[in-house]
Amino acid sequence: MKILSKSNLVPFLEGLGLEFKVNAPLYEGQDVLFGDLDSSKLATDFIGKPRLSPKEYSFPQRERLFTFKNNGGVEIEAHLNETKRVIWGIRPCDLYGLKFLDMVYLSDYVDPYYQARRSNTILLGLNCNKAEESCFCSSIGTGPFAREAFDLLFTDLGDVFLVEIGSKAGKKLIEKQANLFTNATSKDEKQAGILEEKSKKTFKTYIDLGKVEAKIAGASSSPVWAEEAAKCILCGGCNWVCPTCYCFNIEDVTSGDKTQRVRYWDSCQLGGFTQMAAMNSRATQAERLRQRIYHKFSYNPDKYGGEIGCTGCGRCIDVCPAGINIAYILRRVAN
Amino acid sequence: MAIITKVCDEAAGIKTFTLEFKEPEIQKSFDYRPGQFVELTVFGVGEAPISITSSPVNKGYLELTVAAVGKVTRALHLRKEKDVAGLRGPYGNGFPFDEVKGKNILFVGGGIGAAPLRSLINQMFAYRDNFAKISILYGAREPGLLCFIDDLEGWGKTENSEVLLTVDAPDAKWRGNVGVVGSLLPKIDIDIKNTVAFICGPPIMIHFVLLDLLKMGFEEEQIITTMERRMECGVGKCGHCNIGKSYVCLDGPVFSYHQLRELGEDI
Repeated sequence: MKILSKSNLVPFLEGLGLEFKVNAPLYEGQDVLFGDLDSSKLATDFIGKPRLSPKEYSFPQRERLFTFKNNGGVEIEAHLNETKRVIWGIRPCDLYGLKFLDMVYLSDYVDPYYQARRSNTILLGLNCNKAEESCFCSSIGTGPFAREAFDLLFTDLGDVFLVEIGSKAGKKLIEKQANLFTNATSKDEKQAGILEEKSKKTFKTYIDLGKVEAKIAGASSSPVWAEEAAKCILCGGCNWVCPTCYCFNIEDVTSGDKTQRVRYWDSCQLGGFTQMAAMNSRATQAERLRQRIYHKFSYNPDKYGGEIGCTGCGRCIDVCPAGINIAYILRRVAN
Repeated sequence: MAIITKVCDEAAGIKTFTLEFKEPEIQKSFDYRPGQFVELTVFGVGEAPISITSSPVNKGYLELTVAAVGKVTRALHLRKEKDVAGLRGPYGNGFPFDEVKGKNILFVGGGIGAAPLRSLINQMFAYRDNFAKISILYGAREPGLLCFIDDLEGWGKTENSEVLLTVDAPDAKWRGNVGVVGSLLPKIDIDIKNTVAFICGPPIMIHFVLLDLLKMGFEEEQIITTMERRMECGVGKCGHCNIGKSYVCLDGPVFSYHQLRELGEDI
């Protein structure tokens, strides 16, 4: 473990900027959002999570896969993004979100576009000393302090950051700017432990994950799906802000004799998601809502060795204009 | 990349396209099982999943029978011989073959749903001695929508094989059975205990034929069908064809009725 004084954070990140593209949480008006490092806007003491996860950097909302010419010739050009990138300030919920996406896109069939971005990206986490109203990572077990999926992990100890090393790549970043860091003492580590316990007491949203897991298979005909789905205004916001939602559409966009094959995020809450030429296999909103919850809490764990497709970040609760609340739904499922 | 070498009018609004890969080494190594599908690109328009209707015993080309119902399939219908199309695949699990050797085989098909069944039927007829009685029940809304007329005639003439046809709405020339394809089931005489049924067609047809077969005494494991779902990627990532922990593009599109019931979604 290392110590980095807060006044050395910007020099450290700017130092990384010589070799990497550096992204970090920035104050943007009322919001905190990830962006390109700008030390005048850098958010280090924000509570809870940035409005959006850093998913965009490894799985962009819209991505050009390859371009081909339509003149019958075999001219296909693939577009792999191999930008060397460091992301600082990733909350534990979002670290888990990236770990989850890794599992989906880097297992079985390895997605070359995702792999190109991800294998060139270093993740620097930032533990949460306080939860927001909608946060429920402590119920899922992904936070408020991270245990895995980071290259370096920062904990705010007041005047300094405690820095835990999670990988060789992370260790190398420290070694390159070793003069900025000092060694941590057992007292620092103890203080982090106290902060974690304090942080856990700030949560206001809870679910009983064990009960959800035990009961969800039997809840498919629960009235909760139709009741909650009736409120939905079909904006898809819950999917767009979700750090683990990985579904996408593929489209060919043609201009002149060139076509770009692009993929972009899709939303299982919209009817078009399952629309085929002759029929729609998920015709009601209740079925679509159930699919979103089941995919995260039943189907994904079944397919990916128990890993849940929810980070507990609560962004879908914050974003929903109709007040559909995943924690409320899960509490209904559990009972 | 593949060249369209032949375009054949199969039925009203339905064409069969014969394709060969541009690269001979890909054509040579391209192998598939009946019931699998490819992702077909019509350049400048888009991509769609299409089941393979030729049989792996027919080397050197691939046949796709396609109804013009969506953006890509309509554009494909405008393509002609010597035009180029993109192919990736094959995807999906395919029908059981070795597992059902020695048994009676019952095929129940509706309209263009017969496209993947044709692939399997031709493979079985290439190894005809490996199977007991083969009964093929096939229907369409009207006579003009019946596909694979030549194949049906050939299969019907083969020993220990029968082909029964039906239409919902006959024209003046139709002399055969009138009614849904399930109305042909009482006309066949087979030992159900030693029979495997393959069903493929529109969802409403599958629904009623399943009920008929269960009533006749078929076990859930003896009924094999295919699921149609929206698909984009074909490799279990894009999420569209997800049902339960399965992805139709990886774990299907072929399922036994027993497996379908375990997936839990309505069919």
